[in-house]
Amino acid sequence: MKLRLFGRNYEVYANMIENSFDIALVAERLTNIVLQEGGLQGDPQPGITTDGATAIGIGLAAIGAGYAERGIGAAAVGALAEDSISTGIGIVMTVLPETLVIFALVALFV
Amino acid sequence: MVRVSATGNNPEYVNARVRARRAKLFSDEDYRKLVRMGPDEIARFMEETAYESAINALGSRHSGVDLIEYALNRNMAQNFDDLLRWSGGETYDRIASYLRKFDAWNVKTVFRGLYSGAAAEEIETDLINAGEFDDRFLERLANAGTIEDAVELLDGTIFGASLPAAFEEYEASGVLVPLENAVDRAFFENLLGDISGSDEPTRLYVEFLQAEIDFRNVRNALRLARTGADMDPSEYYIGGGQLFTAAELSQLVGGRDQLVAHIRDSKYGDELSDALDEIEEVDSLIGFEHALDHALLDYSRELSNRFPNSICPVLAYVLAKEREVENVRAVARGKEAGLTEEEVNEELVIA
Repeated sequence: MKLRLFGRNYEVYANMIENSFDIALVAERLTNIVLQEGGLQGDPQPGITTDGATAIGIGLAAIGAGYAERGIGAAAVGALAEDSISTGIGIVMTVLPETLVIFALVALFV
Repeated sequence: MVRVSATGNNPEYVNARVRARRAKLFSDEDYRKLVRMGPDEIARFMEETAYESAINALGSRHSGVDLIEYALNRNMAQNFDDLLRWSGGETYDRIASYLRKFDAWNVKTVFRGLYSGAAAEEIETDLINAGEFDDRFLERLANAGTIEDAVELLDGTIFGASLPAAFEEYEASGVLVPLENAVDRAFFENLLGDISGSDEPTRLYVEFLQAEIDFRNVRNALRLARTGADMDPSEYYIGGGQLFTAAELSQLVGGRDQLVAHIRDSKYGDELSDALDEIEEVDSLIGFEHALDHALLDYSRELSNRFPNSICPVLAYVLAKEREVENVRAVARGKEAGLTEEEVNEELVIA
């Protein structure tokens, strides 16, 4: 089929549209899972409970903190190897992003 | 880009170590002390700094200014080897290709040594073992005997492609300039040709290299403008910079004022204004070259602060270290030759 409408790049455009349809479909299915009604048996419950969502949030925060600490830790060890800072400062700097995880824990209690 | 290193990229680690090392370079105050010392005192002073192991290793074999010089070279080579030892991934690749600078330096030293008929041993002591060439290759180069053999040995390295043509020119004219130019050009062109990617660190890296090429072109152009020699300036031109094209350079070398005005209007105008004032007012080429070195050091430091995780801090450190070595050597040689403190001070470039 020729889509004259899109000019010479019609194949590219057609692919893009197809892809965005795919994404929309996946998003819809994901929403269905998250907001899943309890099915025909009654007692409707979402697929992911509040606690579950909190756990995901904390996990993501921990991944972020870990990623940040990767760079800082490398730099701290480098500076330690040159004797330019004390071990204490190195450790403090390295674990600073850990506060992100502590903030994320707040979500558990509200 | 050719991938050499198999490990991951670690700019954070290398940067932290480099910055620590940079902080340990000689300060204004150290230089003020050094200028007042004689050669032996300088050696003793160095023994209490980062040069300790180099001085101790060489102390039994050499003495006086020779000891200082060899210790400086050895320490510098050691430092740059360290850079490579620490780094991995892209960081390693870039540092390694930048440190080929010392391969270029060594090749030029060998050419000059062979040209002046120095003994292989003498040449060897002047080499800086910081580049890609290993000890054995450097030894073979120093023992080459004739320039032609050295050119043959270099076949297959990054310098190999352009040297045979330069050698013919050398044979015709009898001066080393074509060979040295070929080496410099091969180095810089290889460096810029190797770069891929367009992220922020890469952009800064390119900017750094362009600045270095531009500054080198400026220096060559002014030397030519000054001597008024009727050599073709485009022969000295190193491609890849932003300041001039080869044609512009040939045009500008004719008039010094034009050249200065052109530089003043360029993006380096601010950094170089002191240097340009120097050349306009006192007409001193040495003063200008020192001001140029100073400007390059400042510029490299500025680039290294703009994006902390790029390769620029490492390259800025390499430049600063080189400068320190040159400074200390100038102090030692100057004192040996009986220069006064003021005269020695004029030789120093302190960032």
